[in-house]
Amino acid sequence: MTWEVGENLVKSILEKAPYAEGKVRRERRLEFKVPAERIREFLMIMKEHNFPLMLQITAVDWPKEGEIELVYHLMNIELGTHAMVKTRIPRDLDKAKMPTVRDLYPAAETYERDVHDFFGVYFEGNEKMEMPWILDDPEQGLYPHRKDFDMLGYVKKKYKILDRFDENKDRYVI
Amino acid sequence: MVDWRLFEPLFNWARKKSLWIVSFCTGCGGIEMPPLMTSRYDIERFGIIPDPSPRQYDLFLITGYVTPKTLKRIIITYEMAPDPKWVLAHGSCPLNGGIYWDSYNAIKHLDKYIPVDVFIAGCMPRPEAVLDGIHKLMEMIENGEADGWKRYKENYEWYRKNQEELLGEGWREKEARKWIPWLMDKKKEVKE
Ligand code: SF4
Repeated sequence: MTWEVGENLVKSILEKAPYAEGKVRRERRLEFKVPAERIREFLMIMKEHNFPLMLQITAVDWPKEGEIELVYHLMNIELGTHAMVKTRIPRDLDKAKMPTVRDLYPAAETYERDVHDFFGVYFEGNEKMEMPWILDDPEQGLYPHRKDFDMLGYVKKKYKILDRFDENKDRYVI
Repeated sequence: MVDWRLFEPLFNWARKKSLWIVSFCTGCGGIEMPPLMTSRYDIERFGIIPDPSPRQYDLFLITGYVTPKTLKRIIITYEMAPDPKWVLAHGSCPLNGGIYWDSYNAIKHLDKYIPVDVFIAGCMPRPEAVLDGIHKLMEMIENGEADGWKRYKENYEWYRKNQEELLGEGWREKEARKWIPWLMDKKKEVKE
């Protein structure tokens, strides 16, 4: 069972952006994979194809592959269609850089700052990147949502509660 | 010269009958407030009204988990209030961390930082449980057991030490100054 409207939409988008991959996941869900440096181009094309709303930018950490996957969620209101634009960038702090899309989608400012706070991806061109956001000073620069962040160790150090947790899983104190 | 201590039982009775609350909706418990205030559970029949200003309240509701960042605001709001003041903490998060026991950004024991008079256990306590907690607090006010504000004064050094251990020394001033560059200079630069 295919969703014809979506297939046509994907086809016309991919015609303009041959570097991308795209498919219809199910009814009213589209998925695209784009190389990181062409994301701005691609989002401009998406905007022309009536995706005026940015819902969220999320990040997924893949430590084994050494990559962070950024997912741009876009919405087409007329068709009620949700499109995910995925892109992968290297995970190392000095290489995890992306061009900002703030001028295309103003809502992206918030989400970019979010991803910067929690995952350490730097969005070049967003001048509010250094502005304090959700995290407080002690966590700044630790990027707590990365998979290799030692949560329990940090909690023990920060809140000075050593006796409540037992590393031995048979005897959880809590 | 009148010895006002003689009137203390009368005052306590009056205090318990007119609690004004500031609910600091930090966590999930904020959503239990509307049914509590409106016609279904209607806490106004106990003389409780929500109060918008921290300068006049008697009862401070902390409804859910507290992060270090909100803890700063909680401490400031608590210290702003005039003296007989009580704190009621909802849920297991302020009690011992609850389901955020291993979270880097939720404080584990609220009563290390400000004195709490009544804890309500549960995740999330239903409005009935909150009513029960308020009822308990009223009893405690009447017989003078709810003395959190006195404890805060007597043990201020201990509370202050815990606060500074977690939030860093001089956090009040630092927090206020942190935003100045972003409010003043940088804004101009962006515009140019
Ligand atoms: S105790 Fe449960 S309901 Fe209350 S703030 Fe914590 S997680 Fe939310």
